[in-house]
Amino acid sequence: MKDNRKTDGISRKERVKKILVKVVTYLFLSVFALAMIFPFYWMLISSVKTVDEYNLSTPTLWPHDFRWDTYLTAFTGDLDLGRLFLNTVLVGVVSTLLSLVVTVLSAYAFARLEFKGKNLLFGAMLATMMIPGELFTVTNYITVSSFHWIYDLKEGPTFWNASLPYLSLIVPFLVSVFYIYLLRQNFMQIPNELYLAAKVDGASDLKYLWKVMIPLASPTLITITILKMMGSWNSYMWPQLVANDDLHRLVTVGLRGASFNIAGTNLIDYPLQMAAVVLVTVPLLLVFIFFRKYIMRGVSRSGIKG
Amino acid sequence: MSHKKSNRKNKNLKNQWKAWLYLTPMIILLLVFTVWPIFNTIRISFLCRWDEDLGAVVGYDYAKAIQGVKYQFGFNNFINVFTTGDSFLIALGNTMLLTVLTVPISTMLALLIAVALNSIKWLKKFFQTVFFLPYVTNAIAIGMVFAAMFGMVWPTPAKPPTSVGIINTIIEAFGGHYINWVDRGSPYWANIAVLVIYIVWNALPFKILVLLGGLQNVDKQYYDAAKVDGASRWRVFWRVTVPLLSPMIACVVITGFIGGFKEYTSVVGIFGDGMGPTGANGSLNTMVGFIYNYIPHNQGKASAAALILFVIIFIVTMINMYVSKKKTHY
Amino acid sequence: MKNKIGAIMLAGSMLCTVAIGFTGCIGEGTINNSGSSTDDLANVTLATSGGFKMPEGGFDIEKPVTISFYHTMGKVLKEKLDYQLELFKELFPNITVVDAKYGNYDDVHTQIGQEITAGNQPNIAYCYGDHVADYNVSNSVLAINDFLPGGTYADEKITLANGDEYNLGLTVEEKNMFVENFYNEGHMFGDGKMMYMLPFAKSTEVMFYNKNFFNDNKLKVPTTWDELWETCERILEIDPDCIPFGYDSEANWFITMCEQYDSAYTYPTGTAANRFRFDNEKNRSFVGKLAENFQKGYFTTQEMNSGTYTSSLFTSLTEPKCYMCVGSTAGGQYQKPQLVNGQYAFEAGIAQIPQIDPDHPKAISQGPSVCIFKSDDPQEVLASWLLVKYLTTNIEFQADFSIDSGYMPPLKMEYMMTLDSYKNELEENANGTTGLAALSAKMCLEQKDAYFTSPAFVGSSRARTEVGALLQAVFSNTSIDSAFQTAVRNCIESIT
Repeated sequence: MKDNRKTDGISRKERVKKILVKVVTYLFLSVFALAMIFPFYWMLISSVKTVDEYNLSTPTLWPHDFRWDTYLTAFTGDLDLGRLFLNTVLVGVVSTLLSLVVTVLSAYAFARLEFKGKNLLFGAMLATMMIPGELFTVTNYITVSSFHWIYDLKEGPTFWNASLPYLSLIVPFLVSVFYIYLLRQNFMQIPNELYLAAKVDGASDLKYLWKVMIPLASPTLITITILKMMGSWNSYMWPQLVANDDLHRLVTVGLRGASFNIAGTNLIDYPLQMAAVVLVTVPLLLVFIFFRKYIMRGVSRSGIKG
Repeated sequence: MSHKKSNRKNKNLKNQWKAWLYLTPMIILLLVFTVWPIFNTIRISFLCRWDEDLGAVVGYDYAKAIQGVKYQFGFNNFINVFTTGDSFLIALGNTMLLTVLTVPISTMLALLIAVALNSIKWLKKFFQTVFFLPYVTNAIAIGMVFAAMFGMVWPTPAKPPTSVGIINTIIEAFGGHYINWVDRGSPYWANIAVLVIYIVWNALPFKILVLLGGLQNVDKQYYDAAKVDGASRWRVFWRVTVPLLSPMIACVVITGFIGGFKEYTSVVGIFGDGMGPTGANGSLNTMVGFIYNYIPHNQGKASAAALILFVIIFIVTMINMYVSKKKTHY
Repeated sequence: MKNKIGAIMLAGSMLCTVAIGFTGCIGEGTINNSGSSTDDLANVTLATSGGFKMPEGGFDIEKPVTISFYHTMGKVLKEKLDYQLELFKELFPNITVVDAKYGNYDDVHTQIGQEITAGNQPNIAYCYGDHVADYNVSNSVLAINDFLPGGTYADEKITLANGDEYNLGLTVEEKNMFVENFYNEGHMFGDGKMMYMLPFAKSTEVMFYNKNFFNDNKLKVPTTWDELWETCERILEIDPDCIPFGYDSEANWFITMCEQYDSAYTYPTGTAANRFRFDNEKNRSFVGKLAENFQKGYFTTQEMNSGTYTSSLFTSLTEPKCYMCVGSTAGGQYQKPQLVNGQYAFEAGIAQIPQIDPDHPKAISQGPSVCIFKSDDPQEVLASWLLVKYLTTNIEFQADFSIDSGYMPPLKMEYMMTLDSYKNELEENANGTTGLAALSAKMCLEQKDAYFTSPAFVGSSRARTEVGALLQAVFSNTSIDSAFQTAVRNCIESIT
């Protein structure tokens, strides 16, 4: 109370400045937020437009006529959405979990442990990021074929024939040098003193990793989880190649392959396609909103005290 | 003395053994699905043959190779990349330009947004959600939206455009003249401007995510100390925030450059498979686009181009690393 | 520069003459008069064998065999296919057909292109000529000559389970069911002696026009390009806000003009420079003419219209409208006039696309064919052939497929009309509002001699893309000279 009154003269100017900064901050954030949100808006309104309105030369910002049949058709049409979701979730969850294990172990080794050739190996790994991965497709396809990880249409859904293709969807992309790099950078932010203290306490490396490093790096781990899930959800080229059958198809491949044709033509019903895109996006959105809480929690826990 | 030394050595060896154990799963996977394909890429980039029918030297093609057609070792693929046409140099120029423009812009913007997000309380959750949203959009949808925003409808040169698009409508509302951004006869700089906006838009969420994560790991006491010193916001930003965030900034800059050199989908998103505005196909092609063109039937040439791209990215990354090592405060 | 290209092309053609011993490709020693190679290839006598070796004892009707079929059929068409597969199974109980659906023709192409590298390709697939040319880089596609009339195994008989005799090969009668030009597309490769595909479903381009507008203003539907431009001029006088004419596909336009002018476009073999022959005086002159008319506001194309089909202008109720529009018959539904107060805004008419010589009309042929892939197991190959023959010559299936897809059957009108349901569809449901698909199918079946396709080779799909881009460039004020040079250079670069 007393303090406040004493500094009143300076603080008025300060306060005006502070409010101004706040206003500018919110204005700045709002403008960019609007730009971020617009495509979603577009996607939603496009999905309920009539074909003719969608094709109008001047795009309308609000549909004149709403049509909701698109959503019904998207579910009941050619697209076996249930199967597609199931496959995608299975592949997404399994590859995210396995990928996290591989990434954490490697990032830990690079951030905390000393071994011969560490910098060389790390540099070489970074270098592999620099070659466009599209070029690996042909070689990797031959590799997974030779492992018999490709669904044999003629053999039908026998146990192995049905299970092995999941491996070719998951295994080749478990290692992401990028995630390892990201996590290593985060691990390196964590002061070395904590590690040395843990060593003095006699904690094993794994225990230290589990009890200290992972909680502290949880924002980055969540980031990686989201990226990996999104990646699985949006991957197209590779799944199309190795798992383009009714049993193993993933969402994007199914979506691209499904026919959204206007009956009796080879022309595409874009609003219908948009509705399908919305349906596919919604689960992602939910997962994302769910994870956001964890980001917050992870963040609040990760303040390094002392 | 010698006892002590051998002890330390043993301990190091023990640690090494552990490190390699941790790295084993990664190394095995990397060997099979990354190193082997790279090795194969390098091998193929040096394989070519004289095609009697075409009367030219052509690169390795799997489809021919499995027929038992023999290929010779040579540098022709690397020469062909530059000499059979000018599309590689065009692609190289576009890629360089886009990277040099987008990486600094997107990093700076992401940093500002992350700092702003970190400084507010009211509506913080809402804004965070909004800024991460683009992750869950589908590339088809985004591309169409941008095309609709910047595109004009101008079916015949004999009459003015029937629609100039949302962006141009805004420009005209402020008294400006509409700009032909992406349609036929549009100027190169306008094309590049739209691409830069699109790429930055795309790149922002990830960068904000990473930087915000790093920002929330920054010890509050540094700020408290700065406050006590009475430093201005701007000063705090440059002297405290940026240095403390430098590992994360280095990370987004380096991966940004690498990603920038592999730019491809954004051009397809805006301009379609033609990789350029109508009437100027290929004028905005990128290096990955060039490589894609040759993957189906000339893996030799595609591989050679990929190796050239690799060398360029490698040099740029080395420069980045060198600079960031000097400027980064771990 | 032009001279240089000419010289290279001339040298190339000579080389090709020596190498293949094929003299039809150079007319009077100058490349510009070399004409289209389409007719030459269509008239080549097919080889009697495609190299297939009949196993001992012929086709075994006891031994189970499974074959795979890649296509792009949606739910409705797939039901029709499944129905036919059941009938086929009754005929050949030992053959099991498994099928896989892909998004579009290019997806099938990409998929198989990759699968070939690991030997996982299917037995039968939807294809375009360009795709077959790609697959044949690795010699993967079976030449079906052995099973065609006059072929080695044409008259081979199979004794069915019920004791009936079944002809393995395509009989002369069955061959005659196909529209000749569609059938001949199957050997538009290399020297034209090997047959790699049979037509499955077809589409072409036709001109839709606003019948009411034409009647009200006493306009005559143009049959030649000159008439078209005159009509455009008249229409602009009547309605200055419109764009009289729309043509959806720039690439099709260029290729069709080459065919109508009988000027050179591409050639399937020889050096890179020799294959891409579209830079010649005739083509430069028609491109110049088109560019001129584009500037006058006579027409627009899909790409010029911001990627939107020109049918959107045709059916539009507001300006700019167009009153004539060339589009695919497979998209006929899209030209359907809009309903205004419960009535159609106008009635659409369908005409042949404008011609250079209306007595010898030319219209492009599109739509999927089917090809068979080689296999180590001759039983698989025979089973695949039996299915291909069964589906392509099956009038009932072709009628069902056509009605549901908007494509037209590859079979001649007189055979299709023997089926009452199809006859009804064409005769009773064909009209200018709701029955445009039937109306266009009818017109298409009538102009059966007009169809052409350009030869397929590695690089032919690129040539198609480049000539489309060439027209777009010229319409966007690029000089004709540089547009042609860029297109040829890009084509050559793409295959070397």
